[in-house]
Amino acid sequence: MTLDQFEEMMDSCVRCSKCKYIPQIAIKSQRFSHICPSVQYYNFHAYSGGGRMIMANAYHKGRLEWTPEMLDVLYQCTNCGGCEVSCKWVYDFEPNEVIHELRVQAVKSGAGPMPAHKKYIDLVRQKNNPYGEEIEKRSDWLSDDIEVDDGSSTLYFVGCTAALRREEIAVSTARVLNAANEPFRILGSDEICCGSPVYRVGDRDTAIDIMKRNVESFRERGIKRIITSCSGCFNMLKTEYPRYVEHDFEVVHTSQLMEELLREGRLQPKKEIPMKITYHDPCHLGRMSEPYEPYEGEKVELLSQVYIWDPPKPFRQGTHGVYDAPRNVLKQIPGVELVEMERIREYSYCCGAGAGCKSAYPDFALFASNERVDEAKSTGAEALVSACPFCKTSLQDALKERDDPMEFFDLTQLVLKSLEGGE
Amino acid sequence: MLKENVYKRLSDVVGERFITKAPAILDTYAFQWCFEIESVQRGEEPSRFGIRPAAVVLPETTEEVQSIVKICNEHDIKFKPLSTGMGPWAAVSHPRSIQIDLRRMNRILEVDSKNMYAVIEPYVTNAELQAELFKFGLMHHAQGAGPQTSPLASHTAFVGPGFTSPYTGFSGRNLLGVEWVMPNGQILRVGSYEQSGKWFSGDGPGFSMRGVIRGWMGSYGGLGVFTKAAIKLYSWPAPKDFKWEISGTVPHYDWKVPPYWKMFVLNFPEWEQFEPAFYEVNDHDAVMMASCSSAEGLAGLFTDTKMEAIEAIFGGVLLHAKRYFIVLVTAHTEREFNYRCKLITAIMEKHGGNDLIADGIIAPRDAHYAESVRNMLGGHAFRFSNCFQSTHGGMDSIALAVNIAKVNQPIKWKYIEKGVIGDDRGEGVWTTAYECGHTAHLEVPTVYNAASVESCKGYAEYQDECNEVDLKQALGMPFFIVGDKVHDYYGPRTMDYPKWLRRIKATFDPRGVGDSSHYISAEKEE
Repeated sequence: MTLDQFEEMMDSCVRCSKCKYIPQIAIKSQRFSHICPSVQYYNFHAYSGGGRMIMANAYHKGRLEWTPEMLDVLYQCTNCGGCEVSCKWVYDFEPNEVIHELRVQAVKSGAGPMPAHKKYIDLVRQKNNPYGEEIEKRSDWLSDDIEVDDGSSTLYFVGCTAALRREEIAVSTARVLNAANEPFRILGSDEICCGSPVYRVGDRDTAIDIMKRNVESFRERGIKRIITSCSGCFNMLKTEYPRYVEHDFEVVHTSQLMEELLREGRLQPKKEIPMKITYHDPCHLGRMSEPYEPYEGEKVELLSQVYIWDPPKPFRQGTHGVYDAPRNVLKQIPGVELVEMERIREYSYCCGAGAGCKSAYPDFALFASNERVDEAKSTGAEALVSACPFCKTSLQDALKERDDPMEFFDLTQLVLKSLEGGE
Repeated sequence: MLKENVYKRLSDVVGERFITKAPAILDTYAFQWCFEIESVQRGEEPSRFGIRPAAVVLPETTEEVQSIVKICNEHDIKFKPLSTGMGPWAAVSHPRSIQIDLRRMNRILEVDSKNMYAVIEPYVTNAELQAELFKFGLMHHAQGAGPQTSPLASHTAFVGPGFTSPYTGFSGRNLLGVEWVMPNGQILRVGSYEQSGKWFSGDGPGFSMRGVIRGWMGSYGGLGVFTKAAIKLYSWPAPKDFKWEISGTVPHYDWKVPPYWKMFVLNFPEWEQFEPAFYEVNDHDAVMMASCSSAEGLAGLFTDTKMEAIEAIFGGVLLHAKRYFIVLVTAHTEREFNYRCKLITAIMEKHGGNDLIADGIIAPRDAHYAESVRNMLGGHAFRFSNCFQSTHGGMDSIALAVNIAKVNQPIKWKYIEKGVIGDDRGEGVWTTAYECGHTAHLEVPTVYNAASVESCKGYAEYQDECNEVDLKQALGMPFFIVGDKVHDYYGPRTMDYPKWLRRIKATFDPRGVGDSSHYISAEKEE
């Protein structure tokens, strides 16, 4: 893609501000009406999805040149896709895609990404993970009592964050799979970053190299199915990889797999967990995981000035994200009472960790995670559950900062707790 | 560019974090819907980019707004306030101008459920206010611009018809007490707020300034900054324990329709039957919503995507929808509901109409009931080409509204045939009445393509022709496009009202710092 390809939609933005809020029909209170953490924190219109689309347009038309302020506006966005869901309620625009493309342009021109991003991209190049940890450490979470089947065609792609920072998620995922007698292998020190943190800040060329390396690695090992416990990895492997590299492996998230294992009776949660919980939809598992369907067609003027795509073009609106699987899993845990927040499913509020914000703009990321914790607290829930190590880090940071007794669980941890002998 | 010392003074008022002169941010205030039409009307190529403000400030309090306005007066800098800011009137028209973005002033200050008013700040949106008011069993008038726009902006500075107008009137009629930072930097409290600190009346005891504030159809940000306003509230016709719950996934949401709500689409063969039926329905003061459109509009209103709308148009709506209006009946009790439904049916039968919903021609989903009261249906018109704008306006009688529709059809058709605007056979209009049908509003929503030079030029030409017809055939004032040029075009035939507007502008804005682009200048340009 290039900005050129977005010119018509950039010229057509109505500047209506719908992109700042959840879909208007879903607003239940003023307190939780916003979808965009960025404009909520920074306030100027430029920080909204529509605002950034105008900024991209101004850059494309030569009205703007890169400045430090412009780069900040561009990167102080979690690229969560919320703006696009709200925009598409009415318009045929893709503000989140435009934002990403402008980041690609920033990198190509040498202006972007931000120093914090450059630092971790270098670490990904050198150490295959953004944390700069030695590759041997990727399997440190693996204890002797976890069974791994090196001959399996199912790969548990642990991801950098679960392997190196949120090891408890890797452990609970592996234990749940063991409990269901679901064979899997891991890559251990051969596993490399999925490319998400690189891709999201606009270094598309490096990200594509990583994608190619990963796909080759999976092919060499005969991998047919990949399980991820990280929503960021899931989004990359399931949604972004097919846009750039050909592959034929199946990608499933732990929430989907556990739903299936529960349906088949291979997981039997029997231990009562008497707890009121609320579930946070990770952006990359929800609206952002909706696949891009390859499309070839043309615009046809059906009525005067009313164009349609022939054949009909898939409208990527967040409809087909993974929303029900985690909820179905939670409903089967004895004692758990699920209470929903106001912003859920495709209009879930971002945790603040996405697209390099946690590393480059920690104050903003913490604002967003606190906002989400406020919403979780408003439900009366005792615990917050999600399905992504990035979300876990971000939301736990907010809980820690406010010294809040609310507990946080990854979905796999809660399922493991409910299994006999699980914990 | 602002001088450094001026920028510093503004920065001292709001704090460094809430002021900017970064071009990348400023440009997002220079880009506006319909600029492409205004640029064509000025003889330029169509563009949504206009003039970049010199700075944007984000005040949080009335005192901050006052300080900003005083600085503008001292240094001869123009200003334009905006809330969500959708439309060319929200933007500055002079490079030596600052934009006052009122986004941080977003509090609902009071809901007085006994006296039925709410006191709000500029950046409270319609959807937010409505969501909070339902908890009190109340609702407000939300203007057609949409649920994400500011009711304060509409109530103080615009016209503001909406989908619930038969029940809630229009914005200007619902304005009570106001806090107003005048263009000279003084604060004026209007109506009972000045006298008693209570907001219940816009007209007194205390100053009554509603006519001055509104002028013709509003000051469009050209007469200072309205920082707080009390607006009138209405009973929300739903059970006390009703909760606004949405289920489903985009684009098909579900909503539990409250008991005693029902929609009709009353369809008549010709305007001759439509007009008396529309008068009668409004005269009985028995409906939440009564508004008309074209067949294409009906399909757009009661579907969830563009493709669904197109399928509905050709799947029967085009064949069966003639001169219709949509009615939403709501009631608090079964008895009231039955009476109102019988009344609507009797009026329909009396004038030889049929109900397109009962006949199975169109089927509003439950979520469309929610969208009706949340004022979201107007936004559906954007689905056809991502853009529309309205011509005409004629805030007068139902009879005049019907006359405009008749006069407009062949004019609009001419431009449809040229292929420059959307094809609704020239029949796309939108009408609603206020106060038992005493007055009515008609505009002509017109789809065009903002990314096509030909379409922008064609629409601009069509709008100019509509304006000329409005004047020559006495069809009332254009709804949207205001400012010196249009005022002066109409003034000589309409009691020279611009003279009075100019006196107001000169009196309240002696230094001319309030950006007058879509309001009026104190001095007439020769």
